[in-house]
Amino acid sequence: MTSWSRIRSWAHAIIRRSAMEREMDTELQFHMEAYALDLERSGVPREEAMRRSRLEFGGVERTKEECRDARGVSFMETFVLDLKYGARTLRKSPGFTIIAALTLALGIGANTAIFSLVDGILLRPLPYASPQQLVSVKGTYPKGGFVAMREQMHTMDVAAYSEDHEFNLTGYGEAVRLPGTLVSAELFSMLGAQPELGRTFYPGEDVAGQDNFVVLSHALWEQRFAGDPAIIGRVIELEGVGRQVVGVMPADFRFPSARGALWLPLHNDPRNTTAYWAGDFMPVICRLHAGTKLEQARAEIKMFQSRVTKMFPWPMPAKWNADVSVVPLRDGMVADVRGRLLMLLGAVVLVLLIACANVANLTLSRAATREKEIAIRSALGAGRGRIATQLLTESVLLAGFGGLLGLVFAKGGLSLLKATLPTDMPRLMDVHLDWRVLVFTGALAILTGFIFGLVPALQSSRVTTAESLKSGGRGAAVSVSQRLRSTLVVVEVAFAVMLVLSAGLLIRSFWAISHTNPGFKSEHLLTARITPNESFCQDAARCLTFYRSVVNEAQASPGVAGAALVNTLPLGGRITKRNVDIEEHVAAPGENAPLFWLDVVTPNYFRVMGICALAGREFNDADEAGSAVAVVTASTARRYWPGENAVGKHMRLLKEKDWRTVVGVIPDVRAFDMQSSEPEWIEGTAYVPYNSSATLEDGRVPAEMTIAARTNLDAAQAESTLRRVVSGLNPEVPVSEMKTMREVVSEAVATPASTTSLFATFASLALVLGMIGIYGVLTFLVSKRTREIGIRVALGARREDVLWLVMREGAKFSFAGIALGLAGAMAVMRLLASELYGVSPMDAATYCSVTGAMAAVTLLACYVPTRRAMRVDPLTALRED
Amino acid sequence: MANKPVDVLQGTLDMLILKAVSLGPLHGYGVLLRIHQISKDRLEIQQGSLYPALYRLEHQGWIASEWGESENKRKAKYYRLTAAGKRKLQSETEKWNRMAEVIAGILSTGREEV
Repeated sequence: MTSWSRIRSWAHAIIRRSAMEREMDTELQFHMEAYALDLERSGVPREEAMRRSRLEFGGVERTKEECRDARGVSFMETFVLDLKYGARTLRKSPGFTIIAALTLALGIGANTAIFSLVDGILLRPLPYASPQQLVSVKGTYPKGGFVAMREQMHTMDVAAYSEDHEFNLTGYGEAVRLPGTLVSAELFSMLGAQPELGRTFYPGEDVAGQDNFVVLSHALWEQRFAGDPAIIGRVIELEGVGRQVVGVMPADFRFPSARGALWLPLHNDPRNTTAYWAGDFMPVICRLHAGTKLEQARAEIKMFQSRVTKMFPWPMPAKWNADVSVVPLRDGMVADVRGRLLMLLGAVVLVLLIACANVANLTLSRAATREKEIAIRSALGAGRGRIATQLLTESVLLAGFGGLLGLVFAKGGLSLLKATLPTDMPRLMDVHLDWRVLVFTGALAILTGFIFGLVPALQSSRVTTAESLKSGGRGAAVSVSQRLRSTLVVVEVAFAVMLVLSAGLLIRSFWAISHTNPGFKSEHLLTARITPNESFCQDAARCLTFYRSVVNEAQASPGVAGAALVNTLPLGGRITKRNVDIEEHVAAPGENAPLFWLDVVTPNYFRVMGICALAGREFNDADEAGSAVAVVTASTARRYWPGENAVGKHMRLLKEKDWRTVVGVIPDVRAFDMQSSEPEWIEGTAYVPYNSSATLEDGRVPAEMTIAARTNLDAAQAESTLRRVVSGLNPEVPVSEMKTMREVVSEAVATPASTTSLFATFASLALVLGMIGIYGVLTFLVSKRTREIGIRVALGARREDVLWLVMREGAKFSFAGIALGLAGAMAVMRLLASELYGVSPMDAATYCSVTGAMAAVTLLACYVPTRRAMRVDPLTALRED
Repeated sequence: MANKPVDVLQGTLDMLILKAVSLGPLHGYGVLLRIHQISKDRLEIQQGSLYPALYRLEHQGWIASEWGESENKRKAKYYRLTAAGKRKLQSETEKWNRMAEVIAGILSTGREEV
């Protein structure tokens, strides 16, 4: 009964709010009139009776407020009321509202975009069954090691894969090169991945002789096979070998990366000792058995490691996989990008903090000018909590606007981000705005509203009524909130300094990278991969004849000034490693021969790439016919023949019969990345002419070559020329990765480029927000001190004195902020060290120029308020209020 | 001393209002008059404080209200006791009596009785 009446009363109050307000008015009015009437009857004159009646009744507004509270609907009602009131107030000062909402939107938008990235890549569980049981092994194993592991592990199931293989698909349209992954038979079932069509591999199908199967990706199935379900069971030709299609994976299945178009079984063949124990060293992933702890798995794999080294047909170095362990699969997959993503998140959180400080500042300034309004409301009976709640509602409303707008920014920002980031970033395809991020944005918006709303709300509600009404808005609260505001601005400038500094360092580093001389001339160079089947080059003569024709015909084409072949293009992302013997440095028995990067080139390669020999000569046509010669890079020459002339020395590829004579030394080429010529585990670089003795580790001449053509043709023309040449000679040979050398170079610096541009964006955001912050505070200060300035001017202060008065305030914020920012930067900037090249994280020049620039920019922000102060007219100022 | 009005004891206003309307429906001003009348002007009630109490009691369901016409032919809101209100008044009265008895007993205790 009573709860029913309560609900009815609530419902009543909410639905018929204005009616109830009217009724309340009528009722109280009736009371006062009835009392006045009684007084009149006892002889009091009408006027006096009305006055006494009002007096004795007490505060009408306070009574009404208490009545509303008593009705128990105050929360809902108040909230609706506050929202309406807040919206009205915000509409009344559109300048404040727009700046505050935009500031927040930028902060929230940037944060949501970056958070989507962090969430999609680092936080979200992998899209496989029970992903928490999946782990990856730290270290790689050859087929033999993996098979042993699979047999011996008790705590987990084991699978292996080998990425970055390529296969020619012929017979279905133009010959095409497809990226594929070799997987152990149980990999799919371990991931819990179901095929869209057909089946995945059965156990045992990764054994040599039983492995002629293939699983297709959804995209490949659609593009090449028109989505025909009859593909299952059909035999397709990959690298000239027929393989039966057994399954098609669904579109959202990606393993290990989004690139893969094919999955083939591993080819485990224990009889081929070299391939089985020394071939591909593969990553291994495992699924922990139910109830197994990570520690148990770690202990078991350590035990296994000590056994497996003894299973190799040759002694293995003791340090090989000595630190073997297992880590959660997701951590293993994203380990490379984790640091960079967290760095971006840190930077963008700084931007949000600056935005919050800015809006808090704006709100504080506004609250100070609203002191009178608040004082009146409290005189009319509004409690302190009530006023704080109202101001808070207003802030949350503002943050809500900012959040909504920020979501729009985030959507745009995220697509921009995905376009900017290097495409090889793991899981980038999985990143999108979704409900998790929506929740995050919502929480962020509300939290932000509270952060910047709470301080001013508490502050304003502390205003004492009488004082504020008396002083006309120059109350005691001003000095308190002034301190708070100053602190906020200083912190804001400090954060901005840190961001600008990091952007400055990254820009310097990027400048250094992109102005590195790569050692070749990238202009007017078109490159493309030409990849006949492996088997085609088993017959070395056939292979060499084909390639010789390719080069000749390409050079004969109109518009082509020169063409050459190389097995691994500089910055092309591939390495050919080969052990070599060096005369006078021959490795002792039991020791490993030096591991070199072997470049196999046609004689005119150096000329086409714009590389000139430092000493000796380049290759000539006689070398192509079969001379035993080599060219080394300058650093290789220094390493093995320091202080001597390398020309005339001798070296040979491992197991080669004859010594090769070093005929030339060329400058170092940035072949691995823009920072280094070689990875650190490579001990030298040698070039040999492309002839029948230029063999790789497997004893064959290289089959995959990259053509580099110097041409004035535009990209499309040059491309069709190259394709025509190759397909004219052999239609079964695909031409792929057609790129200009400039594109190759810019892809090589894609990662630092994206990091740098993101930081530069954040830094400019921070800079603008910081400027707005200083500007806002000074403007407020000047408006509050107009009267004081007026008096000073009236007493004879000159314009310079006023200038100093204001600028001194501005400079105080600026220098305190810069000092704090520099101190903060010194503490955290070493986190950036891994991203920097050619510049120290403590680079004095950058610190100095950023300090100077920040000082200039912040003082610039003081300009407008200072000018306003200097124009103060003493008469007007003193007449105010 | 006996004629000087005393302020209403904290928390007893609700009880007085329930009692007042139990004798017949009243508007707010009538409740005030009725309390003055039955207390023989010995209780002082701040006029404004009456209404929050009335709203609270109505919200709790002890009293109900409806619009009617006053003796001066004016529109006025009349309050009457509900069944729940009647029970409430009863229990409150009993509680008050017990309490008054106990307190009176304590206050009249002489030295020799301890």
